[in-house]
Amino acid sequence: MVTALAALEEAYARRGAPPAASEGRSDGRPLVVGYVGADMPVVLLTAAGVHAFRLTGDPESDFALGDRYLGRGVDPVARSVLARLLAGAFGDLDRIVVSHDCEASLRLFYALRELRRVEPGAGLPETYLVDILHLPHRTTARYNRRRIGEFAARLEAWTGRPLDLAGAVAAHNERSRLLAAVAELRRAVPARLTGRQFLAVANAALPVDEHIALLEQLLAEAGELEEHAGRRVFLSGSEHDTPHVYEAIESEGYVIVGEDHSFGDLSVHEPIGAAGLDALAEHYHHSGPTAHRATAGERAAHAAAAVRRCRAELFVAYSRIADEAPAWDFPAQRAALNIPAVLLERQEYGRADLAALRKEHPCVV
Amino acid sequence: MRSVKSLDTAAEAGRHQREWFADLRRRVAAGEPFALLNADVPHEIFRTMDIPYAVSQWWASLVTAKQRSGHYLKLVRQRGYPDYSEQYNSVTLGSAFDPEPEAGPWGGLPKPDIIVGDASGDITRKIFDVWGQEPGVTFYPLESAAENEVPVNWWELVPHRWEEAVGPARLDLLTAELENLVRFLETTTGRRFRESRFREVMALVNEQEEWNRKTHALIARARPAPLSVVDSIPSVMLPQWHRGTEWARDIAKRFYEEVRDRVDAGQAACPDERARLMWIGRGLWYDMGFYQRFQEEYGAVFVWSMYLAVAADGYIRYGDDPMRTLAARFAAFSDQLYTPPWSSEWYVKEARSHGIDGVVHLVSDDPRGSYFTARALEAAGFPVIEIHADNVDTRTFADDVAERVGQWLEKVVLA
Repeated sequence: MVTALAALEEAYARRGAPPAASEGRSDGRPLVVGYVGADMPVVLLTAAGVHAFRLTGDPESDFALGDRYLGRGVDPVARSVLARLLAGAFGDLDRIVVSHDCEASLRLFYALRELRRVEPGAGLPETYLVDILHLPHRTTARYNRRRIGEFAARLEAWTGRPLDLAGAVAAHNERSRLLAAVAELRRAVPARLTGRQFLAVANAALPVDEHIALLEQLLAEAGELEEHAGRRVFLSGSEHDTPHVYEAIESEGYVIVGEDHSFGDLSVHEPIGAAGLDALAEHYHHSGPTAHRATAGERAAHAAAAVRRCRAELFVAYSRIADEAPAWDFPAQRAALNIPAVLLERQEYGRADLAALRKEHPCVV
Repeated sequence: MRSVKSLDTAAEAGRHQREWFADLRRRVAAGEPFALLNADVPHEIFRTMDIPYAVSQWWASLVTAKQRSGHYLKLVRQRGYPDYSEQYNSVTLGSAFDPEPEAGPWGGLPKPDIIVGDASGDITRKIFDVWGQEPGVTFYPLESAAENEVPVNWWELVPHRWEEAVGPARLDLLTAELENLVRFLETTTGRRFRESRFREVMALVNEQEEWNRKTHALIARARPAPLSVVDSIPSVMLPQWHRGTEWARDIAKRFYEEVRDRVDAGQAACPDERARLMWIGRGLWYDMGFYQRFQEEYGAVFVWSMYLAVAADGYIRYGDDPMRTLAARFAAFSDQLYTPPWSSEWYVKEARSHGIDGVVHLVSDDPRGSYFTARALEAAGFPVIEIHADNVDTRTFADDVAERVGQWLEKVVLA
């Protein structure tokens, strides 16, 4: 295997694991911050010098406690994250920061806030909400600017240091530029990366500078990457915080060449224009379009363009149980596409109804 | 089992609603603009501008009471949309897809020109945006913002100290959105927004809700309960959708007087009252008889629903700047009912003030937050039974619910 790809895969396998830096913070090591959601201003976390990582669920572990506190009407990803937090699966977190990227994240924030109030014995750390909103209006832009400013101030209060915004913006822009180049490898015909591999590359649990170094190395080694000739699928809909669904679909001979959720192609962004809070607020206001915050029309237009760009042959909309927004997008998406489209709705966390996929669109490799 | 109402005000509110809807249909047929509004957005702006409007959730409740929600959900499904998702709003969307709209209840819902809803959750905006794609329909979404830290005792703060309860970020946002909404409506309908009229409307709303507050306090104290939620829900909610009119204020006063007279005369919803029940959750519109099912056998009366209680505690706002004051009514409205600690602590306060013996909690998928409600009530000593169902989708209501509640009454509440 290509050296950089192997290293990135290995780092992806460590996602959500307690970082080594979580011990001995009294000796000046950085704060450890677990964050939730697609709308997290990660640039600010980097600028603050904290050790930040995204909290992810696990469909194979028990999340009954998450069911208990959040109810079964909430996306099981959030229920799993909560159960893992209560079980200490993320190690000794100093803070949790939650974004309002979807209803499940907001409900998770409220549950964490309330658990800290009424069950202090649960040992949950201070939890903070970053409320970035997405209506395309100036009123929302001004609100977001205020919230970004408040979060920046909170981070400075937590660390006792000023933010290094210039350095963080430059690093995140560079990482995104490299990820965009890696995404082109997957879009090649035949694809030079599988969807599962791209998920690992984009979400490797690494500090930004180490991530950049491995992405550069991966691009340098691109000529050694295998070719993947399966039927090309664009995967739309729910977020995939684990590789389970990718592995299931690709095990049938498909290759996922693009998607529209924040662990995949939507993590590649336009450069942030300036190293200031105004530019950051604007950047996060316009992020997406995710299933939870964009209109069906916006999602359909995005799908049509993305499908053309990655030369997909089949559009698979995936809507997890209790994560119904993608199912509302599907009729408009299907109408906007000129390739076959199938909706897998009410899917169990970490699973895909492959029988439905086979029946509707058998994969002939 | 049909519910049996006994209050004159409930009957009068029902008559008025039919007459109002017939008049609304006439006005719309004559070319006036028509707005469809979600329950938790500021209707007061439309009242001020005399733009006819109906409330989405009221229409869903009517459709459901007529046992027609399945028909509308089927229409939603036929368009390729999920029929299992936020049914309280999607039932109303179904009426947009009806090939025979006039066959709907009361002659059918007219086609709206304007829809206003807040972007709460992941689905509400999707539903109304789908409707907004229909020719001639404009959807005007409002944000649904959230706050990090909130004081717990919102019910004490919101009448006057709402800035402290809600926080300036959310108030600035909604105030600006509402100022823009007024300009949008002035431009698209040609109607004028007069500040003096706006102040009148705001004053009338506070007067109406102050009467509801008195009625609510009276019912909390009265033993036995002078009425059940079967009477209080229509008596408070139909006028609620006419907030800002003299009729709504006056019927709120008559509602109070009728309840007072019943208390003075010792009249009871259930003369053999043995258990006072609290219903948490939306109204069970397809089976309002459920609320009276346990009176004869168990002497168990539903004395509390959120509808009168939130009318008493959740709407009253006083302030010098009417637009910001109006924003304060709605910037955190659903938090009052569904977000802990606001919701959970308020339900406990209400259970105590009403001498509740048991709580029946309808848990639907979309409002959520039920664990902390049940936890707070049980910690305060109130037994809770949860029913998992959607309040407009009969498919979700299990056959054995009444039996389960009966057993719980026997074994827990009355034991």
